[in-house]
Amino acid sequence: MDSAFRRGAREGMRAFLPISVGLVPWAIVTGIAMRSIGLSELEAMGMSLLVFAATAQLGTLPLIASGAPLWLIFLTGLVLNLRFVIFSAAIAPAFHEHSMARRLASSYLLVDGVFVAVSEKLRTADDPQWRWGCYLAPAVYGWMLWQACSLVGVLGAGAVPHDWSLEFMATIALMVMLVPMVRTRPMLLAAVVGGVGTVLLRGLPLRLGLFVAIALGIAAGFAAEHWQERRAAR
Amino acid sequence: MIEGVWLWITFAALALTTVITRGSFILIGEKGRLPPTVQRALRYAPASALAALIVPDLLLDHGHFQAFNPKLVAGAVIVAIALRTRNPWLPFILGMGVLIALRKGLGW
Repeated sequence: MDSAFRRGAREGMRAFLPISVGLVPWAIVTGIAMRSIGLSELEAMGMSLLVFAATAQLGTLPLIASGAPLWLIFLTGLVLNLRFVIFSAAIAPAFHEHSMARRLASSYLLVDGVFVAVSEKLRTADDPQWRWGCYLAPAVYGWMLWQACSLVGVLGAGAVPHDWSLEFMATIALMVMLVPMVRTRPMLLAAVVGGVGTVLLRGLPLRLGLFVAIALGIAAGFAAEHWQERRAAR
Repeated sequence: MIEGVWLWITFAALALTTVITRGSFILIGEKGRLPPTVQRALRYAPASALAALIVPDLLLDHGHFQAFNPKLVAGAVIVAIALRTRNPWLPFILGMGVLIALRKGLGW
């Protein structure tokens, strides 16, 4: 282990530590939510380790509970994870010199908090070893913190009475994620069209309403942004 | 409820969505670049998808439209909290508190 790696690791940890606190309630809630639909402790931790994506986990739990078809669950997970395509595109240059195994591990470990904390540092650093440390240390720490807190939720869920509507925690978690996202009018429009559209289109067969509404929401947000820019240009 | 082997297949499929999306450009290497227009449009995907999962839970009761219900009230409280504070615990504590108080306390 050379010192560039270590210096990078220290820098990455310093940036990520303060925001990592936010993972704690989120992970506990995800653990509880998985148990609330009837997954066993083993199944819940299996999901946590394999999927390692809170939004996709929380968002697909109702579909798993209602026995929805696999393709629908897969597509829903894909849509919920779409933001990572943007993160991946932004952070990819940092890993160009690294092996496929390292890039695969980096992909699995790429989460919102780590991206926010280190992406700018990675973009401006020249030493590949420094970059690897700066990414890997907070990413692995974040993963361990997440899994440990999920386990607390998974084991603790049994202590809460059944009639407390704990499954609502999943919706709260999704709302906590959504609210800070909706800071501009086009973003608000995308959310309103996606949300209301899903309710209005719930009669469509094969639960296609969900996808049609999400697509309409994306189109509405994009169109609104375009229109806003054209108006500003005038 | 999906059970047994199918449950694990479902988890594997979801794990695939994690690696496909996060790995998309990291795994492709230097060849890949996302067109700027697509990148801009994709920025709206998370908000639209999150709302598409949240709103039905707040407005529908077993598939039927319920304009005014305990979850919607709790939802309004959660939005109000999330707009005012970055405290990671408050939305969960107060949101669940309101929902349980309305359901158990008032029998709504």
